[in-house]
Amino acid sequence: MGDNRLMIKVTVNDRLYELQVDPELRLVDLLRDELGLTGTKEGCGKGECGACTIIMNGKTVNSCMVLAFQADGSEILTIEGMGDGEELHPIQEAFIRQGAVQCGYCTPGMVLSAKAILDKNPNPSEEEIRKGISGNLCRCTGYQKIVDAIKDAAEVMGGGGDER
Amino acid sequence: MKKRGVGIASVMFGFGYGEGFPDHSTASIRIKPDGRVEVKTAAADVGQGVLTVVSQIAAEILGVPVESIDLVNGDTAVTRSSGSTSATRQTFFTGNAVMNTAQILRSIIFDLAVKVYGKTYPELYFENSCVVPHGAEEKKISFAELAKIAAERGEKLEAEGSYFPITTPPDPSNGQGERVYVSYTFVTTIAEVEIDLGTGQVEVIRMVAAPDVGQAIHPQNVEGQMEGGSAQGIGMALMEEILFDEYGTLLNPNLSTYLIPTSLDVPRMQTVIVEDEEPLGPFGAKGIGEPAMISTAPAIINAIYNACGVRIKELPATPEKILRELKKLAAGN
Ligand code: FES
Ligand code: FES
Repeated sequence: MGDNRLMIKVTVNDRLYELQVDPELRLVDLLRDELGLTGTKEGCGKGECGACTIIMNGKTVNSCMVLAFQADGSEILTIEGMGDGEELHPIQEAFIRQGAVQCGYCTPGMVLSAKAILDKNPNPSEEEIRKGISGNLCRCTGYQKIVDAIKDAAEVMGGGGDER
Repeated sequence: MKKRGVGIASVMFGFGYGEGFPDHSTASIRIKPDGRVEVKTAAADVGQGVLTVVSQIAAEILGVPVESIDLVNGDTAVTRSSGSTSATRQTFFTGNAVMNTAQILRSIIFDLAVKVYGKTYPELYFENSCVVPHGAEEKKISFAELAKIAAERGEKLEAEGSYFPITTPPDPSNGQGERVYVSYTFVTTIAEVEIDLGTGQVEVIRMVAAPDVGQAIHPQNVEGQMEGGSAQGIGMALMEEILFDEYGTLLNPNLSTYLIPTSLDVPRMQTVIVEDEEPLGPFGAKGIGEPAMISTAPAIINAIYNACGVRIKELPATPEKILRELKKLAAGN
């Protein structure tokens, strides 16, 4: 540590951080341990479960598979940046309304994948939604209420999808 | 070529520890000085929703909005045991414990109110965190005021209660017993599969499950349990298998090698909640945790048989096994 630390600048949830990071530090650890943003979960640590999903430069990534220094200069959105601290994001509201949260471990990753889906297509089909969250494993819900929540959010957010 | 088939299976599931093992849950409830209701249980909510259910039960009995329930959970310093979150038991056991406790507290509140008003029980009712005298609604007293009156009198609006039913061990010779489990949950699953005869790949294209939960206290959560359980059942039927080598080393310890269903492996499911009230359950409810997944795999295996005539007797029904059985079948066994 120390000597070979790298200086990075990264914007997380609209806040700019300038940090010294160990070259081996993973992004998930930077977020959770150094920035205290523990909403991002680590499941497998191997890019297989999607629990650690965040949005980096507009795309979902598994934050366990990215080294912190690789995030230099990037814009990151984590679950903490979805609502504004007072109000939840409409996607989060829809997850609650539809009962899409059970243990909650997959939820932060699911919500960010949902956002990425809706950013790309505000009115996605069931198939597109299922494809879009297929990298996020959920052991509790059977996915149906998550899919429903994303449809619901699409409607609320103005996509207007009704091909249920 | 692809073929389709439909299969059905049912499960009868005795919940709770049963078989004579001591199984109970204890809860306590109090009216806080601000009139809110504090429910203490050690029931672990791992996402199945037991805390939602017990909040609803307490709110219903005490005549308070569910939002005015404060939960104190799983702290050995302040809660007694509610038993484990296992055996499909929390809705039934902690639900009953909270129901019993809320009833005791209800009578304590009534008892005090009777003294305050100088009226008898039938002349009073509960509504929206208040005790209200019939015909003199403007004279209602809020739980907060009542808690203050109680404190002045050195009394507490607080109760503890439990649920501790007796079960009997089964006779080892025939498995029969007088009351091996307190009650049983029933689930029937119907699955429709499409099987690729060239690859042996099975896709579940439709699934309907009908759980008899006695009374669905929170129907959306019952669906959630059914959908999640059915998805696990699909995994159990078609892909999930722990593999060891001859030395006992786990060969597939990763989620890339031990596969569980993704959103693309699970079809849209339909849950038909059957409500046949269980007299012993809290408001007639029964548990749904484990039985949610038990009838899924046999329904799928039956659907495979219906589609192509092969009977898979060892889970999971992987493409390799199905192809092997299809070959045997073609060769006339
Ligand atoms: S923790 Fe990153 S994909 Fe599982
Ligand atoms: S809610 Fe538990 S893993 Fe998705």
